[in-house]
Amino acid sequence: MGTLTRAVGQAHARLDGPDKVRGAARYSVEYPVENVAYAWPVPSTVVKGRITRVDTRAALAEPGVLAVLSYENAPRLTPAGDPELFVLQEPAVAYRGQIVALAVAGSLEAAREAAGLVRLEYDTWPHDTVLTENHPGLYQPSHVNPSLPTDTEIGNFDAGYAAAPVRVDATYRTPAEHNNPMEPHASTVQWQGDRLVVHDANQGPGQVQAGLATLFGLPPERVRVITEHVGGGFGCKTMRCCVVLAALAARHVDRPVRLALTRQQMFGVVGYRTPTIQRIRLGADPTGRLTASCHDAISQSSMLKEFAEQTAVYGRPLYAAPHRRTTHRLARLDVPSPAWMRAPGQCPGSFAVESAMDELAVTCGVDPVELRIRNEPATDPEEGTPYSSRNLVACLREGAHRFGWADRDRTPAVRRAGRCLLGTGVAGSIYPARSLVSSASAYAGPDGAFLVQINAVDIGTGARTALWQIAADELGVPPDRVMIRVGDTGLPEASLAGGSTGTASWGWAVAKVCREIRVQIDDVHGGSVPAGGVHAQVDTTADIQAQQTFSRYAFGAQFAEVRVDVDTGEVRVDRLLGVFAAGRIVNALTARSQLIGGMTMGMSMALLEEGLWDPRSGDWANHDLATYHVAGCADIEQIEAYWLDEDDPHLNPAGVKGIGEIGIVGTAAAITNAVYHATGVRVRDLPVRLDRLLGHRA
Amino acid sequence: MEFLQPSTWDDAMAAKAAQPEAVPIAGGTDVMVELNFDRRRPPALLDLTRVAELTQWGTDGPLLRVGAGVTSRRLIAELGGRLPGLAMASRTVGSPQIRNRGTVGGNLGSASPAGDAHPPLLASDALVELASVRGVRRVPVAEFFTGPKRSVLAPDELVAAFLVAPAGGPQQFAKVGTRNAMVIAVCSFALALHPAQRRVGTGIGSAAPTPRRATAAEDFLAAALPWDTRGRLPDSTAREFGALVAAAAAPIDDVRGTAAYRRHALSVLAGRTLRWAWEALCD
Repeated sequence: MGTLTRAVGQAHARLDGPDKVRGAARYSVEYPVENVAYAWPVPSTVVKGRITRVDTRAALAEPGVLAVLSYENAPRLTPAGDPELFVLQEPAVAYRGQIVALAVAGSLEAAREAAGLVRLEYDTWPHDTVLTENHPGLYQPSHVNPSLPTDTEIGNFDAGYAAAPVRVDATYRTPAEHNNPMEPHASTVQWQGDRLVVHDANQGPGQVQAGLATLFGLPPERVRVITEHVGGGFGCKTMRCCVVLAALAARHVDRPVRLALTRQQMFGVVGYRTPTIQRIRLGADPTGRLTASCHDAISQSSMLKEFAEQTAVYGRPLYAAPHRRTTHRLARLDVPSPAWMRAPGQCPGSFAVESAMDELAVTCGVDPVELRIRNEPATDPEEGTPYSSRNLVACLREGAHRFGWADRDRTPAVRRAGRCLLGTGVAGSIYPARSLVSSASAYAGPDGAFLVQINAVDIGTGARTALWQIAADELGVPPDRVMIRVGDTGLPEASLAGGSTGTASWGWAVAKVCREIRVQIDDVHGGSVPAGGVHAQVDTTADIQAQQTFSRYAFGAQFAEVRVDVDTGEVRVDRLLGVFAAGRIVNALTARSQLIGGMTMGMSMALLEEGLWDPRSGDWANHDLATYHVAGCADIEQIEAYWLDEDDPHLNPAGVKGIGEIGIVGTAAAITNAVYHATGVRVRDLPVRLDRLLGHRA
Repeated sequence: MEFLQPSTWDDAMAAKAAQPEAVPIAGGTDVMVELNFDRRRPPALLDLTRVAELTQWGTDGPLLRVGAGVTSRRLIAELGGRLPGLAMASRTVGSPQIRNRGTVGGNLGSASPAGDAHPPLLASDALVELASVRGVRRVPVAEFFTGPKRSVLAPDELVAAFLVAPAGGPQQFAKVGTRNAMVIAVCSFALALHPAQRRVGTGIGSAAPTPRRATAAEDFLAAALPWDTRGRLPDSTAREFGALVAAAAAPIDDVRGTAAYRRHALSVLAGRTLRWAWEALCD
């Protein structure tokens, strides 16, 4: 095959792009289904209580209404681990917005109308919904998400800090943030006898299959979940109540049922990023070399379940310091359940740590790029293990060069252009590089075509295309001879799309099965595919168990340039530049989109996003995109993402680290560090508010 | 819900008279949001998009008469030269899709304190033409708003048009927000200089229960500006003008900003728009 160009590394347009642009790609509630009914959820209007009466008479009198489900009459479920999935089973209400009833009708309009006519009465109790650093209910969870140690201590932080000649002690706060993928949670569910066929928007069809099987007491093979296209997830499309509600309704009315949540309902029931309160203490010598570091993180979870955001995990493998401590404390409140949102833990944690590093740089009079370079560890400072590859310093240097950092004057609040103050800022970035067990199958046809199948899921990232490129290279054929199928539990089982593990995990199985096919063709069939074709199926359990011990992380450096109106405090981001070391980049086009998408979301976090909580009503005050602002393309003048050519042999066959999340890590700190450089005002509470930048003047 | 679709202006007025509780809808950028969020459920919608008269503009003596159904996009494209302040405000409305749908008539009908068109209409002494089967009346826009989302519009009346003189001097509009577009203003301000009459017009948005003028600021500035010499604008004049504009506001603390910030920002916007306008006049 000689001169075949490798597909990996090329900027292939995504395979599903043309269908999406033409509107031909079908999303989960767009599949044509005969005799389909529609469901509309009824959210709780009380915060903490118990339903005492369900009056469905008016709702049922509405023409076309088939049923109203509540805990009184919904089909019984078996608990499946996550209490958020155990819907319409109990009269207890744990938070406002929790789904307490479901109207089902022959049309969407009738279902919605009926939902509005359901009358519920409750006993209620006083609620407690506000997280504070001295909340009496704060406790130490047994572990933090996903299964990391809650607290760590190396050396003796207290002694190290007390002895440090230079100290930074600051508290940072991030608000609740909502994932808000463009497509809401959406399901079309059909019972075919005792088989359940589900089209569902999610990040893990296998997880949804397993969850539904447990909840409804079915063997998993009788549940099929099809997830061909998903309009974004950002963490909130792991299994949620939407698909369970649809399945309950379909069973109850004995018809296929469609259910799509509204944007407003999503604010209540699909998870959000917990607010955080983070105290950072850094002790250093006068040159900025850290001797002690401590990160104490506080976050919230609901009464329904414990979700402990791993906020203080961020710094554990990042900067050197002999004495170090991290802690997590959690308060269970009468609030909706928080969950994963793009780079859980790392994202809010990086805001605090990378801000504090900037404060230390200012205190020591050291350039903040240089400060980070001075604190580069040789091995993982908490685990003691070597890094599979660590290129933070290279990212910082490459970024500084591209950004034009060299002649930066560190003095704050002295650069003026017209009515604006200008400033630049930098932050480091780190995200774990993990691979999870997956399986894949491949078929080689006698016509020279190949079919590769894996129950991976493409939530809009370009995963399908990346796997196709990996497959083509491993098969040693041009990509147009390869067909790839993903997003169906009928395909070989694979891990979910989360934690930036997709391409690493799925790519491993795909690469392995393609190698296996080639071995069979070459060694068993003498180099040609027989008339019946060649099949192979593999899984990566043994490969992943055999991995050597390394600290595996992607690294990055984020640079920002901002403009702050001196009179109104308006902040505009003129430029964001990120340089990342994330192993091999499979697709230059979709990778860039992932990285700049993450960076834009980080800017959104810095300047716009804030779930405003009303403690009196116990609900979000803003729960739509008109009042919860999310940054768009027009909010940034210039955005650039670059990557280093990183060849890390200790990862996986594709050599990838994952890029879905690292783009958002550190961005907010780079921006607030730039705001400090521009104005001299240190913003420790996100988002940056116009009035906060004017201080006493407004 | 009934959906009424008159195709002539007379039919529209007759329908409104017969069913005063019908909610008029043009671009739907406000009404559809309210319906969708179930904030209101009127017994009838009165669709005005088929009434051709509403989408026309022309002259009425010395004034421009602009039909209530003219969209923001058309205001910018067709009337931007003659109504620069209103065009500036229209450019800040929502997104291109919203500007293709939304109309000044709808902005007036909703009477939101944050309506982008209101400050420039106030600053340029616009008249709102209201019509019903009983007849037509023209109300100065400063008297049109009576409270948050309330106006003098009678139950059987429709907004037919607004009338305004083409700019006789520089006009400016500025608003403050957390970003440049797709955002409800924290506060906004419009200024019109009328050099021929040595008069000043102002309009404040999002900083009081209704859009309002800053009349004391207008009077001060009309007397203080060096109209004859067209000399440099004294800083003290801009500062005092800003302070009077801020004093005219009655803002509240809300999720978009504090009252104190709004007053401060208004004084900044007032001073800023004044400097721009004065420079334009003296060029």
